[in-house]
Amino acid sequence: MARDSTPPSTPGSSPAPSSSSPFRTPSSSRPGSNQRRRGGGGGRGQRRRTTPTSNSSPGYYATPPPNVAPSPAPSPALTPSYDGDEAPPSSEGGDMDSNPPMLVWGTNISVQDVSDAILRFLKNFRSSPSDFEGKYIRIIDQTLELEGHSLNIDGQDMFDYDQDLYVKMVRYPLEVLAIFDMVVMELVNKKKPLYDKHIQTRVFNLRSSVNMRDLNPSDIEKMVSVKGMIIRCSSIIPEIKEACFRCLICGHFSDLIPIDRGRINEPPRCAREECLAMNSMTLVHNRCRFADKQIVRLQETPDAIPEGGTPHTVSLLMHDKLVDAGKPGDRVEVTGIYRAMSVRVGSTQRTVKSLFKTYIDCLHLKKTDKSRMQAEDPMEQDVNGVDAASSRGFVDDIPLDYEDKVEQLKELSKQPDIYDRLSRSLAPSIWELEDVKKGLLCQLFGGHALKLPSGANFRGDINILLVGDPGTSKSQLLQYIHKLSPRGIYTSGRGSSAVGLTAYVSKDPETGETVLESGALVLSDKGICCIDEFDKMSDSARSMLHEVMEQQTVSIAKAGIIASLNARTSVLACANPSGSRYNPRLSVIENIHLPPTLLSRFDLIYLILDKADERTDKRLARHIVALHYENPETQLQDALDLPTLTAYVSYARRHIHPQITDEAADDLITGYVEMRRRGNFPGSSKKVITATPRQIESVIRLSEALARMRFSEWK
Amino acid sequence: MVGPAFDCLANPLGSVRVLFEKAIESGRNPASLSRADFTGEVFRRFLFEEGGLSHVPILDSVNLLGIPPNSLVRFVGMVQDMFDDEYYVGAFKDGSTWRTNKYTDVSSLPMGPSSEMHLWDRRLLYCVPVPGQNSWFKAAFTPINSLRGHSSVVSHQREKRPREPDSMDLEVDGSDPDLALSSHAKKTREEGSSCSQSSEALESNLADCMSSNFDSSSLPCLVKIYDGPDVDIKLNDIFEFIGVFTFDPELVNHNSNHDELSDALCEDVLAHLPPSKVPRLQCIISRRLALLDLISTPLGLQPGQELVKGIREALLQSLTSVLGNDGLAAKYLLLHFLSQIHTRIEPVAVGKLSLNLTGFNKKNMGLFGKSLDNAIQCLLPFSDSIPLSIEYLNTTSLAPKKNYQTNRLVTGALQLAQGTHLTIDETELKAGTLNATGVDNIRILKQFLDFQRVEYEFEYYKVAMDTDVQVLVLSEAKSNILPADLVLPFRPVEVGSYLNASSSELEAWRWYLSTLRSHRYHTIDPAMQKVVQDDMVAARQADRSLGTEELSRWLAMARLMSISYGENSLKPEHWQMVKEMEKLRKERLV
Repeated sequence: MARDSTPPSTPGSSPAPSSSSPFRTPSSSRPGSNQRRRGGGGGRGQRRRTTPTSNSSPGYYATPPPNVAPSPAPSPALTPSYDGDEAPPSSEGGDMDSNPPMLVWGTNISVQDVSDAILRFLKNFRSSPSDFEGKYIRIIDQTLELEGHSLNIDGQDMFDYDQDLYVKMVRYPLEVLAIFDMVVMELVNKKKPLYDKHIQTRVFNLRSSVNMRDLNPSDIEKMVSVKGMIIRCSSIIPEIKEACFRCLICGHFSDLIPIDRGRINEPPRCAREECLAMNSMTLVHNRCRFADKQIVRLQETPDAIPEGGTPHTVSLLMHDKLVDAGKPGDRVEVTGIYRAMSVRVGSTQRTVKSLFKTYIDCLHLKKTDKSRMQAEDPMEQDVNGVDAASSRGFVDDIPLDYEDKVEQLKELSKQPDIYDRLSRSLAPSIWELEDVKKGLLCQLFGGHALKLPSGANFRGDINILLVGDPGTSKSQLLQYIHKLSPRGIYTSGRGSSAVGLTAYVSKDPETGETVLESGALVLSDKGICCIDEFDKMSDSARSMLHEVMEQQTVSIAKAGIIASLNARTSVLACANPSGSRYNPRLSVIENIHLPPTLLSRFDLIYLILDKADERTDKRLARHIVALHYENPETQLQDALDLPTLTAYVSYARRHIHPQITDEAADDLITGYVEMRRRGNFPGSSKKVITATPRQIESVIRLSEALARMRFSEWK
Repeated sequence: MVGPAFDCLANPLGSVRVLFEKAIESGRNPASLSRADFTGEVFRRFLFEEGGLSHVPILDSVNLLGIPPNSLVRFVGMVQDMFDDEYYVGAFKDGSTWRTNKYTDVSSLPMGPSSEMHLWDRRLLYCVPVPGQNSWFKAAFTPINSLRGHSSVVSHQREKRPREPDSMDLEVDGSDPDLALSSHAKKTREEGSSCSQSSEALESNLADCMSSNFDSSSLPCLVKIYDGPDVDIKLNDIFEFIGVFTFDPELVNHNSNHDELSDALCEDVLAHLPPSKVPRLQCIISRRLALLDLISTPLGLQPGQELVKGIREALLQSLTSVLGNDGLAAKYLLLHFLSQIHTRIEPVAVGKLSLNLTGFNKKNMGLFGKSLDNAIQCLLPFSDSIPLSIEYLNTTSLAPKKNYQTNRLVTGALQLAQGTHLTIDETELKAGTLNATGVDNIRILKQFLDFQRVEYEFEYYKVAMDTDVQVLVLSEAKSNILPADLVLPFRPVEVGSYLNASSSELEAWRWYLSTLRSHRYHTIDPAMQKVVQDDMVAARQADRSLGTEELSRWLAMARLMSISYGENSLKPEHWQMVKEMEKLRKERLV
């Protein structure tokens, strides 16, 4: 029915008005030889994702496929060639090999060409030229060994190998995928003739993913890739695939009758010669075959919502193995076919087709649990077992003009003043504090986390403490950083308890089970945890931070639960000096008034003082006047806008992993020795923090962050 | 070409059909017409050039039944929620001619199963009357041009209107998003009447203004937008939609027919919005309305500096008497009424000026609170109030929240149109324990006051929406949970009186407030800039505790002050006035 949206009229696929199920999920594709039956128009309009998973007797169906739609194509069937393999007996075995090339009706797809192209792609595509065997041949072998049901095809691979095929697949997914399945099954049959499962082709990682709100009628019946967050899943709906009937009179069981477009053809009479009773057949539920189906609602992620808009949603239809692959709250990237079906508005026939509902018939679902700040994430996984296919780096995130964008960013990074520009772009409304902004920038870029084979971890996250007089816009800075890093959590030290920050155990009110609930630090794993009013925090809460800030884990032992949770967060804390204003007569340490053990865990500590200086005052005054009276665009001339800034940061975090050069290492060492010496000179107050090994680590992290800022692989 | 053949008013669909056929005849491909505006020109000419607009009836609950379906109507409202796009058969071939379904809910002609067709899409907006409309505004706006012909009554209505029937008598649909708000309004009302000891006259006067919030004419409307995403419509915008009012009885039994998708997740929004309760409007022309568009310029007013000054003085005088002769508070209040966010430089909203009047308690709340409320309601088009109490904080949700069961955005007290005035009464707040909702609400309120931003709750994440609401906090001492820009101890010297003005005066004042507020282009010349900067530096040298926020606020006030005189650029005298005001305020704070 959805096909009506495409220009050519397709009489064969007019909606079945009486069908209670609007989905066309007939058992169109069947295992074994029937895979080959359809050339011509047969594949069109059919949904092939719903293949029954096993049927050990392929010759079972003597009847021709019920769903070969009437087609203007001259020849009803064209069988792709398969050479000399031991194909099981096939009902249409006679008409193979000899047909002239022909097109699927309404498209420019030649079945022969496409299946050849697919075969070439499967056989010849290698991820690196040195590979002995084609990548997908290897994967097919693996799948066979694991008795898998699906074959994941990376859209990017296909594009690299054969653009034409890729374009055809995106434009006519139903037809091409049908052929794809056929080719794959042929290959499988050659390798393992008795393999009794049907292998489905699942395409993922399309070159461009569409924004949900940009889906429009022209995308219908095309392959699309959409990112979003699952908000609701329906319960699993058993969908009947093959029905079994029993004669009420003689007890004879009918053959399994496949479902045609959501409709069961009840046999009018008993098939047994001796009985032949009319209207005696009754459905036997437990001998029918069902497939799982689920309807899932996908909603836009916050970053895709334009200002002043509400998130859009789209329905997904999941089948078989994809059922329950995602849970509400998961961020996923879905590849599927965008489809529309008519809504029956009234009970009368005439209004049937004026409204349409849309959904995505899901082919592949990838969980993407990453926010803008995340570089690599162990959570990122493919639902299906065959992961080798996806081991190739996911360069997804930014659709379409991704490469252009990367070029732009690289261009930016080459500018000599990039460091200043970046710091200027950070929180432009906040006046001055250039040094602090640079520090925050380092925090955003972060160092490189290192995990030694011995199991030792070196954190890459940079912790920053801001100590300053009241009214120096510390909180505003925190708010800004919190906004910039989506995984960031903003919390106030006043009133937050240790458990609120780390993790706590609570009882589920409904089931009475004890559950481990994450606190702010765990929630901001791989993000930035902004803690305002750090000095007002209770000592017990603060002491929890020791572990988090160095080991980057949260350990909890409570109510029988002993757990260690990851909390790889950067901490950005701000505090007032001990006497609420900075007292120049006291030492820095006395002013900050935090335990040295905690202080040494901060990589950078900033004192933001409000000094009586006429020049800074003047600049402040000018800044404020500009804030009120100038066009913000002119004011922020060569600063980067927020999206560019986040793109820049995330690209650097993802792709740049700087190494230390020998000279840099020497410099670092001498610098460190120098620092140690300075702390130790005789007569120095005990209250001065001497440099510890932590400092050299800090310095390394900071230099890594600075290198990342320049997109430089070397420090 | 456009002759009387087009009856845009009574038969807009006929005109649409003719125009569509014309477009086809001129050789355009029906597929390309999907978002093409083939009707706009003719309708725009009819409405705005030929004066057709005044003949178009306004859709409200009173004349809902009187308006024939498929005629042209208009609706003014706030966009409360946006639904997913709807796909429909935009063009189809009937025999050999192309027909369109644009601007209809269902196809007017039967479509053969095999007809060639094109799928188009349209946006669905759920609009409600602007929350917190004050009665004068409604009275002034609604009946103009309405078919009901009440125009002669308007002036009387404004003077003294019989108390309207209580809105609560009306049937409230369970899924009505206004429910939260209306019950809140009810609460306000009940509280208002319970602690009232004032005379009958005052009461009725009050009721007049209080009936503002939600009375019978709060009719939501489902607007279908055909222009595609180009039209920039945001949540909480006030819009005027002119289009075809459709009512199809066949849609009524829509519910009975469940299909699989909506069955499984019961998320078909429209199922909860029967056309009998929520009329459909097929929008042909939409336009954003600014405050200024909503308030008509009083007759005989020749805008000019002198006049503006005169109005300012008179208004200030009245505000002073409302505030028990506290001149300083009145000045601050005036600036507060004029404030509007003019720029956002993340994360600062420049131009907001929230005011916290301290020194209110139970006793004088009865005296001044009401007269203040009354003044606000008589002067500003949209206003709302929140009685802050522990119970209120713990039970209501201030921020709108998405209900995935019905797939609707359930409104909250802070979903307000841009430019609304909000009074938060903190005197009701006593010591008590907040639950999770309460803590969340406090956080939302703080963010709302600090950054003029409300986070809408979408369960899995929050979406921050920018707001522009003038917030007035009334509290006993400086409010810590509601950090306002300005804290001013209120010092009345006599009992406050009710706003006392003739209707023409009121009209002038309303015009003054809304016009000057829309004034966005305000400049500063370099000489003045230098004066301001030097003053700031000097002030900081004298008092180190002055932070960025204070200085920034001075400038915001100076800007508003100069705007209040109708000036386009900052003048030294206004800057001086602001400094003087701040000095007096500081003295009070000590």
